Amino acid sequence: MFLTRSEYDRGVNTFSPEGRLFQVEYAIEAIKLGSTTVGVRTPAGVVLGVEKRVQSPLLESASIEKIMEIDAHLGCAMSGLTADARTMVDHARVTAQNHAFTYDERIRVESATQAVCDLALRFGESVHDEEAMMSRPFGVALLIAGVDEQGPQLFHTDPSGTFMRYEAKAIGSGSEAAQSELQDKWHKQMTLREAHILTLRVLKQVMEEKLDQHNVQLAQVTPEKGFEILDEVRLKELVDDM
Amino acid sequence: MDHFPTNWGRPRNDAFDAYATFPIHQRPSNGPKDAFSQGVQRTQQPIVTGTSVLAIKFKDGIMMAADNLASYGSLARFKDVQRLQPVGEYTVIGAGGDMSDFQYIQSLLDDLVVEEFTNQDGHGLGPKEIHEYLSQVMYGRRTKINPLWNSILVGGVKDGQRFLAYVDLLGTTYSASTLATGYGAYIAQPLLRRAVEGREDTLTQEEATKIIEDCMRVLFYRDARSLNKYQIATITASGASISDSKALETSWGFAEGIRGYGAQTQ
Amino acid sequence: MSSLNDVAGPQQRQFNPYTENGGTILAIAGTDFSVIAGDTRQSEGYNIQTRYAPKVFRLTDRAVLAVNGFAADGNMFVKKVKQRLEWYRHAHAKDMPLHAIARLIQTMLYARRFFPYYVYNILGGIEDDGSGAVYSFDPVGSYERETCRAAGAAQSLVQPFLDNQIYFKNQQPAPGTSFPAHLPLPIVLKLVIDSFTGATERHIEVGDGLEMYVVLAKGRDLSGLEGIVGLQELSTKSDGERIFVIRRELKKD
Repeated sequence: MFLTRSEYDRGVNTFSPEGRLFQVEYAIEAIKLGSTTVGVRTPAGVVLGVEKRVQSPLLESASIEKIMEIDAHLGCAMSGLTADARTMVDHARVTAQNHAFTYDERIRVESATQAVCDLALRFGESVHDEEAMMSRPFGVALLIAGVDEQGPQLFHTDPSGTFMRYEAKAIGSGSEAAQSELQDKWHKQMTLREAHILTLRVLKQVMEEKLDQHNVQLAQVTPEKGFEILDEVRLKELVDDM
Repeated sequence: MDHFPTNWGRPRNDAFDAYATFPIHQRPSNGPKDAFSQGVQRTQQPIVTGTSVLAIKFKDGIMMAADNLASYGSLARFKDVQRLQPVGEYTVIGAGGDMSDFQYIQSLLDDLVVEEFTNQDGHGLGPKEIHEYLSQVMYGRRTKINPLWNSILVGGVKDGQRFLAYVDLLGTTYSASTLATGYGAYIAQPLLRRAVEGREDTLTQEEATKIIEDCMRVLFYRDARSLNKYQIATITASGASISDSKALETSWGFAEGIRGYGAQTQ
Repeated sequence: MSSLNDVAGPQQRQFNPYTENGGTILAIAGTDFSVIAGDTRQSEGYNIQTRYAPKVFRLTDRAVLAVNGFAADGNMFVKKVKQRLEWYRHAHAKDMPLHAIARLIQTMLYARRFFPYYVYNILGGIEDDGSGAVYSFDPVGSYERETCRAAGAAQSLVQPFLDNQIYFKNQQPAPGTSFPAHLPLPIVLKLVIDSFTGATERHIEVGDGLEMYVVLAKGRDLSGLEGIVGLQELSTKSDGERIFVIRRELKKD
């Protein structure tokens, strides 16, 4: 009577009898294969950290781009199918620029996040004359960091289009261990430097390789200087101090 | 498109000569000289026209009047045309300007009222809603440079509230306790204001009728495109009623005494 | 002299989608307040269409928009601005700040660059930093922030008066003194009333009624508004910016 599980995997927009969308759930699974990505919010700003898996000694680690700028006050880090994130970041950038053009103000972090999530469920069959935009869900999760009139904020988005605000969040392959470490070590009145160190320590804990300035990347968003990716000099300094 | 702001806001009477009085006043124009834009232009003018509509607020509601003439230029073409029309249970509209456009508006409103009725939700459109709808239609058409060439009064009573407002081919709207379109705006409006302003809540139906009648008489005397046959609509809390056509008492004896034109030489 | 014979033959007329409906608007910014005013007469040519058609509209608790020119365009424009403000509130969970409304109005006006809304807008209110602000626009969206601005039928009568009384143009400060950048509320209200009684006196399209909106910055006391007749509060919150309207009669001739 009921179709088997695999038959509900055919249509990306078909609910299973238990009320699940398998394709979306698989997409969320895909993120768990991605490299570990960490975000930490403090009153002084938000820190984003990613692990760069350097699979070959011939690979230029500087070419791995997992943290991107959305606007001067907004940045994001990703885990999963990073190519998918380009579509989302591109949309977020356009939305942020449109907002600045129309309203002469920076878009709020939550609004930018919402804009990205509005894209997430635009996959599947087309509706009458409308062309289907995408054939499958995004296979990537984002940590969106930003500063607006409500201060520094960190949001997490997943392929289902759900977003939530976090004080600290880890995604990707090492996320379970990383998240419990964050839960232990995060506290309300962290300095930005403490957040840098915490991010690196959490990454170090879950990384297979030995952490150095080449196989991690750190970025921060502060009220004063907005989004910036830390260069290798500053990164090395922090790694040494860790 | 005319890029010269000085040409934007010219009084519309330059373009709209409701009574086909030649010559129409021309201003130097910076209008488009591009042959293609001429090709797609929709120039328009009203053809078969109605003249003034008058309306006032009184104690129990709204009273509106319009004559039964539809003119073809200076020809009194149709002499039994009804220019007042009930819409739904609470509203009457009265129109001047192009009569075929008015008939189109009537059919729009009929459709609207039927659609609203079929909902069977116990809610009927009131004068405020009908005026808003009409305003959007009129403004929408002017924005497409394809206007419905009318000036319309909308009057009614709903939920104990009197409503009286105007809308025209440009989408211009306003509300007042006395309103008059066309020639009535020049001739009847001052008389109506003197008779009504400040007395909206005390005027009886009889007094209101007298005021309207007097104004229709003056209009018949002075407006060459008017007719001695008109109707009065009365809208109160108990509903709308439109009178049968009636004639005005007029006397032309005074014409004998007028000197300066006609048969007499001195 | 033209006669009937001169104009025989086909005549072409173009429908003119615009008209002018008279009236005047004005706004003045103080350090921590803003006053936005307009008369209530609507006219066309020599006809007074109505003695009460508002030209000044409350947009949010800290923004007021005055619209003057072609009334049908004005009403439609205000309607669309209010719609955009509501959408913004739904999308961003806050009221749109004043400078953002100003930019929005520019984009909305310029979007119709080739079939303009024939309206002059003046936006007044309180900025995020608590300062009183006035923004003025032309029909296609050019805008700037100013201390005061008059627009409409009697702009040419009122603006020079304001230039003299607010910007102290053509005046020399007494030796050792300087002119203030902003005037206190009671003086501003007097200037607004004088501007409109003056314009009513000398311009046929101005008169009937006056509506003055006063927006006070968050936490500002009511000094300058005590004892004002015809004062009505329109604020929706008591802890934010406060907004009032003062209605006065103007001559009706």
